Amino acid sequence: MSSLLSGSIPRRLPPLLVLGALGLQLSGCAIFREPVENPNSPQPAQPAPGYSGQPTSPYPAPPATAVPAPAPAVPPPTPAPPAATRQFHLGTAATTLVAQAHRQAAAGDPQLAIGSIERALRIEPDNPLLWIELGEIHEAAGHFDQAAGMGHKALQLATGDPHAQSASWHLIADSLKARGRNGEAAEAQRRADELEPQ
Amino acid sequence: MKIWRYVLAVVLLCVLVLAVYVVHLDRIVTSQFEGRRWTLPAQVYAAPQELYTGEALSAPDLEHELLRLQYRRVDQIDRPGSYSRQGDRFQISLRPARFADEARPATVLNVASSGAAIAAIADITGKDVAIARLEPLLIGSIFPIHGEDRIVVTPQQVPPMLPAALKAVEDRNFDTHIGVDPLGVLRAIWVDARSGQFEQGGSTLTQQLVKNYFLDSRRTAGRKIREAIMAVLLEMHFSKTDIMTAYINEIQLGQDGDRAIRGFGLASQFYFGKPLVELDVSQVATLVAVARGPSYYDPRRHPDRALKRRNVVLGLMADQKIIPAADARAAQARALGVMGRGSGGYYPAYLDLVRRTLRRDYREEDLTEAGLAIFTNLEPRTQELAEKILDRELTRLDHLHKTMGAPLEGAVVVTAPQSGDVTAVIGGREAGFDGFNRALDARRPIGSLVKPFVYLAAIETGRYNPASIIQDVPVSIKVPGSPDWQPENFEHDINGPIPMVKGLARSLNLATINLGMDIGLDTVRHSLQRFGIEEDPPRIPSLLLGTFGLTPLEVAQLYTGLANGGFKSNLRAVSAVLSADGKALKAFNLDVAPVAQPDAVFEVQMMMEQVIQRGTGVAAQSILPTGVVVAGKSGTSSDLRDSWFAGFSGNAVAVVWVGYDDDRVTGLTGSAGALGVWDRLLTAIGPTSVSSVMPESLHPVTIDFNTGYLPAANCSPQPVTVYVPMSFTPPAAPAGCTAFGPHEPSLLDRAGKWLGITH
Repeated sequence: MSSLLSGSIPRRLPPLLVLGALGLQLSGCAIFREPVENPNSPQPAQPAPGYSGQPTSPYPAPPATAVPAPAPAVPPPTPAPPAATRQFHLGTAATTLVAQAHRQAAAGDPQLAIGSIERALRIEPDNPLLWIELGEIHEAAGHFDQAAGMGHKALQLATGDPHAQSASWHLIADSLKARGRNGEAAEAQRRADELEPQ
Repeated sequence: MKIWRYVLAVVLLCVLVLAVYVVHLDRIVTSQFEGRRWTLPAQVYAAPQELYTGEALSAPDLEHELLRLQYRRVDQIDRPGSYSRQGDRFQISLRPARFADEARPATVLNVASSGAAIAAIADITGKDVAIARLEPLLIGSIFPIHGEDRIVVTPQQVPPMLPAALKAVEDRNFDTHIGVDPLGVLRAIWVDARSGQFEQGGSTLTQQLVKNYFLDSRRTAGRKIREAIMAVLLEMHFSKTDIMTAYINEIQLGQDGDRAIRGFGLASQFYFGKPLVELDVSQVATLVAVARGPSYYDPRRHPDRALKRRNVVLGLMADQKIIPAADARAAQARALGVMGRGSGGYYPAYLDLVRRTLRRDYREEDLTEAGLAIFTNLEPRTQELAEKILDRELTRLDHLHKTMGAPLEGAVVVTAPQSGDVTAVIGGREAGFDGFNRALDARRPIGSLVKPFVYLAAIETGRYNPASIIQDVPVSIKVPGSPDWQPENFEHDINGPIPMVKGLARSLNLATINLGMDIGLDTVRHSLQRFGIEEDPPRIPSLLLGTFGLTPLEVAQLYTGLANGGFKSNLRAVSAVLSADGKALKAFNLDVAPVAQPDAVFEVQMMMEQVIQRGTGVAAQSILPTGVVVAGKSGTSSDLRDSWFAGFSGNAVAVVWVGYDDDRVTGLTGSAGALGVWDRLLTAIGPTSVSSVMPESLHPVTIDFNTGYLPAANCSPQPVTVYVPMSFTPPAAPAGCTAFGPHEPSLLDRAGKWLGITH
């Protein structure tokens, strides 16, 4: 059951709505610092329904004289534009679980930390920040293949959010470096830096 | 006087033999009972219900979850396992619980709901709680074949009423006798003779324990003597408390197929779905009644007998001043309140998957004896919805088709798209029956379920996109050693040049075969391998129409990869295993690996949405909530034997198979059979739209569904949006609105007639 908190953004949400709701400091590798209260962003229990972006039909309406064309039963899906249109952040529950995971990892129990992030992922499965968190714990625990997988998954979900994209590339770069694939690692690092100049 | 010496010798010999026998029994009693460790079958738990602010869990849903865990609704919460509700405000006294990552003590939680979602959660001091969870539902255990299943309880977990009631009913002199109680036997005979019914037995609790613990169930005089001697020996070595605790954990209280229900701890879960300590007086009395004869007084099969016996027990409890007479009368008026077998969280098909998962890592003895705690990803709500909907739809289909012979069967697998968590498994129509598990073992031709992988493989070559024109024209393929293969479309039509999106949405065989033969069979096979097919499909052209068999679980693995944007997560039923003392033994971590180009997968997902919008899944639209966009694909095996539908929303992947066990013709396409289960199930789960985000390298274009041209107003277009690489622009329709390519409709008609194919 996925109920979307403010952090996970349905595919067709207006970009402006998303831009307004910021609450997360991104820097370096740590996507997440402190529990963030977000009093301004209400947390919808369900994703906002319907489409957005293009209020009018992209194809021309049939001329009044012509035989009416069969109208599609459902309007065609209109995706969010790809440019830097959104910034992911975590809902309250996921924030709490990520903080818990950091404590568990710091206490030397990566397995518990993994469990906490996986619990958060059941709540916000489409949030790239959680995949990055999970990847970083795996990376620190020496599970480099898993970390790389999480990095690529995060990258896919992070479309439109340069911060999250950059953090995904960082994770991918680290996992490549750890496996001795330095050339590819440098390339991934370059992409990370491009997206978010230091 | 010689004779006396013989007698003496014989007597001495007898004494000696008896002494040796007693010593022998004493060894058995002390060694087996001293180091007594009941074999503890692994306990299997469902995924716990999470509670957090903003969660889409309505007040009725929350109450339903509490009732599933057998919480009592009360005016003012008292013990753990109770809750109060005023409108949308709940106060819940949570039970202590073991989770994969923590042991949580009993806690009080205040939860406020706002219609559709949780509005606030606070602890007893009023402090906000960000996230909490109900304890996981116990869904079963892994017991040995023909073996004993039990949940061991400590004296603290036993309501004091229970030992008191046992003594009152079975063994009034328990506290004073030496293991056997000749006076008790006499009194039992007297009481039973006077009342004309069987109220009291002659064996002490100690003797009953010995019978259950050490002996088989033969009733012979020798066994009776042995039982008495061992009872006395047991009393010599152990305290009354030890013996009572052992009795409570040892005695048989039911039989469930091959599974012996041992001990009051498990019996409490088995009959009432809650911990022993929470049982009320009437429920305790019911279990004491059952202890007298678990099959004769089976409260499910013989509720009248069990009720009568329970009331006798309550009467005796009142006589012995264990409870006030008024309480006994009130309890006697109550119904048995035993859970139905189906409602008790018994999911054999899912447990079967759990067992198979664990057998790869654990020895049989570890699973059946070591007291492991196994945490799974089962969602009881999803599982129960799937069970109900499958049965209802199959019943409807049976009526519709006036089936001869055995009724239709079916199987369902539900997973979480982003993690591969298996949330429900239905192995057959009678979901509570531990029989043939079709979800795991029925390997059936998947028909057109294979097609998304053909189209994906084609797009991954870089030569195709959803707007590319492919040829839906007759094809004849040479097959060594047999006549040429000349497949047809399901409706025997020929559509000529069409955009790829139409080929998939309408599940056109000819277009798919022409496409598949162009990119090569191995390209398609490779795509299937990467998504996690266990056995390679044969390298023959008909693989493009899914003539090879897969189980519903294998299909779920493939489709979870599609739903997950081209990432493979191994399907997981088990999330963690803890040892008896709560140490984490093994975690089955979430794993994800890219197995396909994300752009290509997105393009295929969007085409699969068109299957629902205007293709073979269009019937789902009248069932699914308006505005929710989902994706799927139908599958039908040759001669309409197997009816499949597989697909996903943003929050669930579901695979449904419908067919006959003996492979008879069902007369059902995927759309006519399995789709009706699939769309109703997704709707009941509460689907969110497919949540994939368009990759930056793609852009949406609108084309005419039939020709692939840009929709031209004067050509009666059927506009459809597809997602294609930035560099691609669909061509404008030529004057005259003809189809793509050199074809003329008349030529097509002629070709059709020439091949003997009718439209």
